[in-house]
Amino acid sequence: MKIIVLIIISEAMKRRSIKLIISFLLMFIVSCNDPETVVTNYVHPDGSVTRKIEMKSIEGDIKKRFKISEIQVPIDRSWTIKDSCEVDKKGDTTWIRKAEKLFKSVDEINLTYKSDSGYNKDFSRNAGFKKRFKWFNTEFRFFEKVDKLLSFGYPVKDFLNNEELRYFYSPEKLKEEKENGPDSLKFKALSDSVKHKTDEWTEKNLVSEWIGEFSKLADGKADNNMTMQSLKARENEFVKIIEKNDKQLDSLWKNGILLREFLGEENALKYKTEADSALSIVTKNMFANFSDYSERIVMPGKLIGTNGFIDRSNILLWPVKSDYFMTEPYEMWADSKTPNTWAWIVSGLFLSFVLTGVIVRIIKKG
Amino acid sequence: MEPENEKYNKVLDLLRKSKPGLDSTDDIEREVIKRIERVNHAGLFLSDAFDFLFGWVYIQWIRRSLIAASVALVLVFVYQQSVILKRIDYLSRQTIVTERESRFAHAEEVEKMLMVYRNSGMRFPSKNITISERQMKELIESVNELQLKYKDLENLIEEDPELKKMIEKKLIENNRTNNNL
Repeated sequence: MKIIVLIIISEAMKRRSIKLIISFLLMFIVSCNDPETVVTNYVHPDGSVTRKIEMKSIEGDIKKRFKISEIQVPIDRSWTIKDSCEVDKKGDTTWIRKAEKLFKSVDEINLTYKSDSGYNKDFSRNAGFKKRFKWFNTEFRFFEKVDKLLSFGYPVKDFLNNEELRYFYSPEKLKEEKENGPDSLKFKALSDSVKHKTDEWTEKNLVSEWIGEFSKLADGKADNNMTMQSLKARENEFVKIIEKNDKQLDSLWKNGILLREFLGEENALKYKTEADSALSIVTKNMFANFSDYSERIVMPGKLIGTNGFIDRSNILLWPVKSDYFMTEPYEMWADSKTPNTWAWIVSGLFLSFVLTGVIVRIIKKG
Repeated sequence: MEPENEKYNKVLDLLRKSKPGLDSTDDIEREVIKRIERVNHAGLFLSDAFDFLFGWVYIQWIRRSLIAASVALVLVFVYQQSVILKRIDYLSRQTIVTERESRFAHAEEVEKMLMVYRNSGMRFPSKNITISERQMKELIESVNELQLKYKDLENLIEEDPELKKMIEKKLIENNRTNNNL
């Protein structure tokens, strides 16, 4: 392993690029069983949804490939499934699974989310559909929402400005394009700023979540003097301690040094169990197993609003990553409209009728 | 010429005296009256229909209500369409992603994972681990070291404008080559 790391480091140093090494590292860190998945929802005017899922996997073992427990979105036997494979010029095989199902309503989609046994089963996800009659047009809204992970976290918008927020939620391909495009320096600076601020955001969430969980656990303890309010007042102080010691946090926590600094000598001993339990809960929440995927939506009629991105096929696209719903629910929504032709005709006739009446009166009066 | 003229006048007199005999003058009279009545009736029907359709113009409250309804309809139409056009215009200025999103190999994600990993007592969920804890620590130490060196390198470049210029030039050239490929 060390040899591989050294090779990567030397290669990266040669090319003066930390991105390269990070990309290599990913190969070792992330498990490769979960496929690259794109979910496309074709929304129909009556509220039914044709859901198509395309998964790509480089896993050679047929038993592991597209294993239900490893895939990001729920699929079962009721889906129409087609498997195929592609071999590139180098001879590498990519396995492709295409699954399709027509859901009569979003309630059916929500039922499948509830009974999900896939990789992301622990996350609360739901879909919604609204149809609003507005005389000249009928408007539709379709959304998919992932509920937030942390109970005591801060919204990312408290840390990033509008431009940075847009960048934060951008698909990786778009970020790469911008960082390698004509304004590369500007976007490099933006990327660094977002990274720095989201690091701060993560640290603050970690502390805030720990304070929240710790206060809950300590609440029932006799002679409790560790109230949420008193700890919250010292939150920034805690964050600074973590920032200062981020390289050796593990050993400092294990030795009780951090806790003594946080709570004082006496309280560190008194609340050791609660503090450790709180950290376990926070770690579990922040490290929740979530496998990223992409969500696409095709709306009926003309698209009039969305918080997503438009991809090359003119379809809406959202990356679904755990960062996005760490402290706030992540809603991917799209609005569209279809004109009500009959309403346009009726309105035209009515206006002509009234106008004619007014003209008749003017003539007769004259 | 004289006898010919006389003959002609005699024939004319004869013709004038022998008028066609009408045997049903009552029928003709009835038919004429009927036709006149029909013409009058048609005019009456159109006028009735017109009065029926536009009679409301003489009733003030109906006239005002219908005009108000028409104005409201026009306003609703203008408002709805302008809102929709505004939203469509905003959408048309949205960025288009040229490639489908890929889930793999994003540097920032890994950096974030490492940061959270360090800050939360060095614990990774078991499912995501394909290397041992010791290897993971070595890896993180290597990354830390590399990041420090990278920072040094960045500082070095920042301090030397010529070097910075040269690197930027190289990067632009590289990007062009990549784009051409």
